[in-house]
Amino acid sequence: MGERADVWQGTLALMVLKTLQALGPLHGYGIARRIEQTSGDLLAVNYGTLYPALLKLEQEGYISSEWGTSDNNRKAKYYKLTRAGRKQLDKEAREWEQTTEILARFLAPGKESA
Amino acid sequence: MSKLRGWLLRLGEPFQRDRRERELAAEMESNLALHIEENLRAGMSVTAARRKALMKLGGIEQTKENYRVQRGLPFLETLFQDLRFAFRMLFKNPGFTAVAVLIMALGMGANTAMFSVVNAVLLKPLPFADPDRIVTLGSLWKGRPGHGNVSAPDFHDWHDQNTAFEGMAYYADDDIAVTAGPVAEYAHVAAVTPEFFHVFRIEPVVGRGFAVDETNEGSSGAVIISSSYSASHFGGNSNALGHAVRLGGRTLDIVGVMPPGFHFPGKTDIWFPANTIYPETESRSGHNYLVVARLKSDVTLEQARAQMTTIATRLEEKFPDSNKGKNVAVTRMRDEMVSNFRLTLYVMLAAVGLVLLIACANLANMLLAKAVARTREIAIRAAVGATRSRIVRQLITESIVMALLAGVVGVLLAIWGARALVALAPADVPRLTETGIDGHVLAFAFGVSVAASLLFGLAPALQVLRIDLNSSLKQGTARAAGGSIADRMRGALVVGEIALSLMLLAGAGLFIKSFLALENVALGFRPEHVLVVETSVPASDLESARRATRFYKDLLPRLRALPGVLDAGATMAPPGNVHSNGGYWIDHLPQEFSVNGPQAVFSVVAPGTLATLGIPLKLGRDFNDSDTYDAPFAAVINDALAKSAFASQDPRGHFIYCGLDSMNPMKIVGVVGNIRQYGPAQEPSPEIYMAYEQHPFPATHLSMVIRTALEPTLLSEAVRRKANEGSVDVPVKFTTMEASLAENVAAPRFRTLLLGIFAGLAVCLAMAGVYGVMSYVVGQRSNEIGLRMALGARPGDALRLVLGQALTLAGTGIVIGLVGAFVVTRLLGSMLFGVKATDPAIYAGVVALLGIVALVASYIPARRAARVDPIVALRYE
Repeated sequence: MGERADVWQGTLALMVLKTLQALGPLHGYGIARRIEQTSGDLLAVNYGTLYPALLKLEQEGYISSEWGTSDNNRKAKYYKLTRAGRKQLDKEAREWEQTTEILARFLAPGKESA
Repeated sequence: MSKLRGWLLRLGEPFQRDRRERELAAEMESNLALHIEENLRAGMSVTAARRKALMKLGGIEQTKENYRVQRGLPFLETLFQDLRFAFRMLFKNPGFTAVAVLIMALGMGANTAMFSVVNAVLLKPLPFADPDRIVTLGSLWKGRPGHGNVSAPDFHDWHDQNTAFEGMAYYADDDIAVTAGPVAEYAHVAAVTPEFFHVFRIEPVVGRGFAVDETNEGSSGAVIISSSYSASHFGGNSNALGHAVRLGGRTLDIVGVMPPGFHFPGKTDIWFPANTIYPETESRSGHNYLVVARLKSDVTLEQARAQMTTIATRLEEKFPDSNKGKNVAVTRMRDEMVSNFRLTLYVMLAAVGLVLLIACANLANMLLAKAVARTREIAIRAAVGATRSRIVRQLITESIVMALLAGVVGVLLAIWGARALVALAPADVPRLTETGIDGHVLAFAFGVSVAASLLFGLAPALQVLRIDLNSSLKQGTARAAGGSIADRMRGALVVGEIALSLMLLAGAGLFIKSFLALENVALGFRPEHVLVVETSVPASDLESARRATRFYKDLLPRLRALPGVLDAGATMAPPGNVHSNGGYWIDHLPQEFSVNGPQAVFSVVAPGTLATLGIPLKLGRDFNDSDTYDAPFAAVINDALAKSAFASQDPRGHFIYCGLDSMNPMKIVGVVGNIRQYGPAQEPSPEIYMAYEQHPFPATHLSMVIRTALEPTLLSEAVRRKANEGSVDVPVKFTTMEASLAENVAAPRFRTLLLGIFAGLAVCLAMAGVYGVMSYVVGQRSNEIGLRMALGARPGDALRLVLGQALTLAGTGIVIGLVGAFVVTRLLGSMLFGVKATDPAIYAGVVALLGIVALVASYIPARRAARVDPIVALRYE
């Protein structure tokens, strides 16, 4: 697993929100799997950062959690996006797009002179 | 918003910690199970699936810790833990805690009380709108300290020529006779020019300000009264309008009532327009007024000063006779009001701060001893993983908790202490009555508590850093732990306490000696058994003034006839209360008046007054009934004037002029002894006594002085009856000569008493400190002493050993304290009378006192050392 990059704190929150938007209510394991899969297994989600990140999002009111049962009848804690979370996701996604766009302009070859 | 919500939730976390822990464990477990299931579905063996999932999960404890950090606020949680522990420690040992809290509470209470006075008098903004823009203006005399009153023409020029002020007014205030009911009473009144209320940006709550025609010279006049006067005399503000008061022989309508609390200047209850009832003095040399002004909002004090100086310099050139050497002083009103008391109050605050330092040293010592006793506990905590910084933090938390407890008790003490201070302080300290516990005072108390806790908590905390884990755990008792560092710290604290006490004692000693000198100074008259009756006869012109004089002429013989009265007189200025002074000239008036000529105190007396007061006649005669208004004017001068004006010649038969009310020549008929007119602290000044019938205007406000065989105040009622029989328009006010003189020395008495109390406290604390440390030392050294005894030392040797150590500490403290005292007492120079700041007798006495205190405090532990039984002491080991 050494070649896989860890997720940074800030972006992890965004990924969690996006995942919950895409898939609806989901447990921690599912979120982690989904993020890793979406990244094409380029990222490794560390539970040591995932749980605190989930807690932080919950404390800030972007997600809520409740205990439910999984498809194969196992108890699990499900997280789901709140209305505030949806807004926050839009906002952060926009900001992120803007950031990447700016960076892209910097990094794009031969365009400085323009 | 969300961030805030997050923080609030985290604050609440400590209360649901267990539930959260369980939930996290369950969540992790369920996720692990989900992972394993998936691995199984992917075709792994049970073992491999499980291993893979666990690997992915990572360090469980680490995850939990990360989670906890996000969950709550670890800093706060530690704090709560420390606080809980601190309270437990404090209540485990209630005796120790009580003593410690009490010592600190005394120190903090004294500081807080003192600060509440400083806050009220020096720091709080004046209770006026935008008070920093209010200034006072005074005549600034070249070569004379301070500044003085202002003449009306100067004021008008200042007023008309400046552009720096949006309002400028003069006022003159006095206690005079006012009739609002059946008999006249004294009331504090002020004559003010039209812009006066504008300077304070204040308007009547009921009624109106003065109309323009009411401020014109010779108008029918009107008055504005204070809310409290309105309540006490008319039963409320709305009732007051339409009523009138009588003063200065005129009946004046009340046209307005000021808002509650406004009494400027002083305790004024009645304001009336200047130059209506009492004509303005038109001479540029008649300095009878005080001036206030409000700076324009875009003008700084410095700019105003510069402009006023230019104006005053122009006046100096234009009117050299009256204005040469006279400029103008512009001072912020607050600075002006408190200038006399600032030094006293700050010295007292510094002194009480020293007491707190000593209390801190004492407490540091107690905590140090306790920290040593706790060495083992601390070593164990360190051994099971507490870091040193964590332990130090714990100890400091304990100190802070203790200090805050002491702060709370201290504030309670301060409420009482501030009241006591206000009662003790001189009556003329401005704004003293506003003293109270407000937000600033509480903030101060809190700050002092925290600062003090760091001061006394630091020593034991530093001590912890030195603890050697191994040896502390091995040694069963606290005995040998702590070591020489703690001992040295303890010694240093006692040395510090003694040094600080010595400084306080030296200051107190100087003040006491100075105060005794003040009390014993020869005043030049006999103040005992003299009743002083202030009276004021309304008069507005020469005729009524001459009638007024007759009031005294009739009354005095009837007072002399009262049983218990030995003698009676009347004077414009009873000793200690100079009303008027100015230049005088011998034999002829000069062509050109110089304002820098010799000056004398003016006094107007009835015949027999000098004898009543016990002022000895040196030459010639006193006034008698033939010195009437129509007779040639006579004057009696004092020794000081005779010496400076006539050297060794006989002054009798010469003429003297002064500008009290007329420039008539007065023939000198007698010379009397000097008295200290300005109170005991000031040398006698030259003085001219004048016959009251010949100066009818000044003679309308006389204080009758009545020498009695009994307690003087017993006569008050009889005197009041006689005075009211004479006229119901004359108010009377009683005091005794001794009480009025006591007012003169109220400030030194206040300083002396306070510093005495502080020094006493300091010595008690230092004594307790020495006792504590020596007891501790004897406890620590009882083995050694026992061993010495076993080897043949006698009890006397043990006694000497302990006393010697105590005296070494005390000696060091005394030497350091002496150096400090020499430096610090220099600041007191201006407050001392008849004693130098370096008075050797005081220093010798203080050193001896502290030496004895140290000996006494260490004697009991030393006796204990002498009684050490070698067998017991050695077996104990």
